[in-house]
Amino acid sequence: MTGTCIELKNLEFQWPGATRPLLSIPQFTVQQGERLLLRGASGSGKSTLLSLIAGIHTPKAHQLQVLGHDMGQLSQRQRDNLRANEIGYIFQQFNLLPYLSAQANVLLAEHFSTARRQRIEQSLRASKLSSHKEQARQLLLQLGLSDSDITRPAHQLSVGQQQRVAAARALFGAPALIIADEPTSALDSEHRDSFIQVLFAACQQHNTTLLFVTHDASLAHHFERSIELTELNQVSQESL
Amino acid sequence: MIRLALASLFNRKASAWLTILAIAVSTLLLLGVERVRHQTQENFANTISGTDLIVGARTGSTQLLLSSVFHIGTLNNTLSWQSYEHLQSLRGVAWHIPLALGDSYGEFPVVATTTDFFQYFQYADKQQLRFNEGAAFSHADTAVLGVEVAKRRQLGVNDQFTIAHGSGGISFSDHDAHPFVVSGVLQRTGTPVDQAVYIPLSGLGIVHGEVHGEVSIAADHHDYHEPPVYTLSAVLLGLNSRPLALRMQRDINTYQDEPLSAIMPGLALTELWRTLSLFEKALFAVSILVVATGLLGMLTALLSSLRERRREMAVLRAIGAGPATIFSLLVSEALILAIIGVSLGVAALYTVLGLGSDWLLTNTGILLRATPLTGTEWSFLAAIIAAAFVLSFIPAWRAYRNALADGLTIRL
Repeated sequence: MTGTCIELKNLEFQWPGATRPLLSIPQFTVQQGERLLLRGASGSGKSTLLSLIAGIHTPKAHQLQVLGHDMGQLSQRQRDNLRANEIGYIFQQFNLLPYLSAQANVLLAEHFSTARRQRIEQSLRASKLSSHKEQARQLLLQLGLSDSDITRPAHQLSVGQQQRVAAARALFGAPALIIADEPTSALDSEHRDSFIQVLFAACQQHNTTLLFVTHDASLAHHFERSIELTELNQVSQESL
Repeated sequence: MIRLALASLFNRKASAWLTILAIAVSTLLLLGVERVRHQTQENFANTISGTDLIVGARTGSTQLLLSSVFHIGTLNNTLSWQSYEHLQSLRGVAWHIPLALGDSYGEFPVVATTTDFFQYFQYADKQQLRFNEGAAFSHADTAVLGVEVAKRRQLGVNDQFTIAHGSGGISFSDHDAHPFVVSGVLQRTGTPVDQAVYIPLSGLGIVHGEVHGEVSIAADHHDYHEPPVYTLSAVLLGLNSRPLALRMQRDINTYQDEPLSAIMPGLALTELWRTLSLFEKALFAVSILVVATGLLGMLTALLSSLRERRREMAVLRAIGAGPATIFSLLVSEALILAIIGVSLGVAALYTVLGLGSDWLLTNTGILLRATPLTGTEWSFLAAIIAAAFVLSFIPAWRAYRNALADGLTIRL
């Protein structure tokens, strides 16, 4: 399956009240199924770009297409629904509700999304798994958690385990796009590499697009394509 | 949504329980005050029933009611035996109970009367007096005790005691020479009857030296030419037909031979209760304020939790929760707190009523029954939950605004 997942055309974004735009990107495209590294120093507008793609903030019309939707023309509720259904988001840290178990955190992903629930129902029929819970468990096992970790409250897990749970939640219900915002910066190098490997394997299996954002250039060799945000963004860094 | 709210609240157990406790205590107080108010009023109205007129010497209606029915205060004026005989002769009088007050047994008032009292006096919903043990007095030196008197003085049938002149505790003229023998103990009524000692008029006459020697109980009846006592405090009248009361009241109030007052107890009770309603309103206002404090505590707890929950909100936003979802999450948390708090308050009320009502009755004389919640009480509970619902819009709105402003960035 090929097609365009994210398409930016002359994207300009400026916070209300700011004198200059923060982002000005003439052209940027991510294909479906692509695994892409986006590199940028902190303060370069990375987080803003991600929140535009995730539909938290609104761009102007005709500047940003995500999965065929013009994000500038969707309402708040439509963007929230698109994110719930098709976008998995992994933060740098603190991805989980600490008081829920790893499994319950993964199941949260279908809490707000009917599309994910339906896709899970379909895959349940195809596989021998009996329940949504079982599917969440399988995904967690696939990402390298043990059975005893799965039922423990999230705050008892190590940071590396928490990030795997976060990845499982992002992948649960097979969304089209995973946005990972510095997901490995809290991990040591050994955990970092194994985390990227299990994430890649899971994305490949579901043909999920991965937009991986980091400030760490040493990760580039894992990726098919790697892009500097400063190359895209026409707003010069010195003037910021 | 509810499960998420519950899980989140469970994560903040300590503050959630404190909030629930505050709401429970304020609910308990509001319901308790309402119950005391309602049931006191009911008990109050239940003290006397079936009596159409209370007649005494010329005095205020409240004073006559308080002294003759509640044994509170003293009547300075008395009515003569001749007036009592006149009252008996009035047409339409079905029964009559003479009452002579003024003596006491410890803190309990002594009421001198006739056996008609046990036959005709009614309380609550036309309930007659019944005996726990023994029977009505039959001789001048026998007495009937209210259940509280018997219980607290540990007196039973055939026990002896002496009464004192004047009311209340210490007296300088005790009637030690004339002990009384308990002939019977009445059943509990929840009225001032429980707290009183009943002796025959002739017995009072003897201890006061108005009559000498042994007098038969028949002396209480009017075929005897010498009265057992010369003056009475009040007379309770029952009439053949209720509508007669108004005319008879006028006749008695304009009686030529002696200045008399006749009051209708129902009317006088209502009037008296109205004077007490200011106190009752103040009590109610205080309990409303306590409920407000409880709810403000909940508001504070929810608002202060928002800061530490920004991460939680960002996570929820990331998995697709809209700001409206965040808003309703906060509202459902408040509702959960309020509903649990109110339920605990109701449970506490019935626990207190179940365990403490005996203690309350013996120590304060307030009779509280563990009856089901009344319509008023249900509406109070609904009002508390509705108030919590409305108040929760404040933290919910804050969380909504935070969710919009923070987006996916987690500010720690």
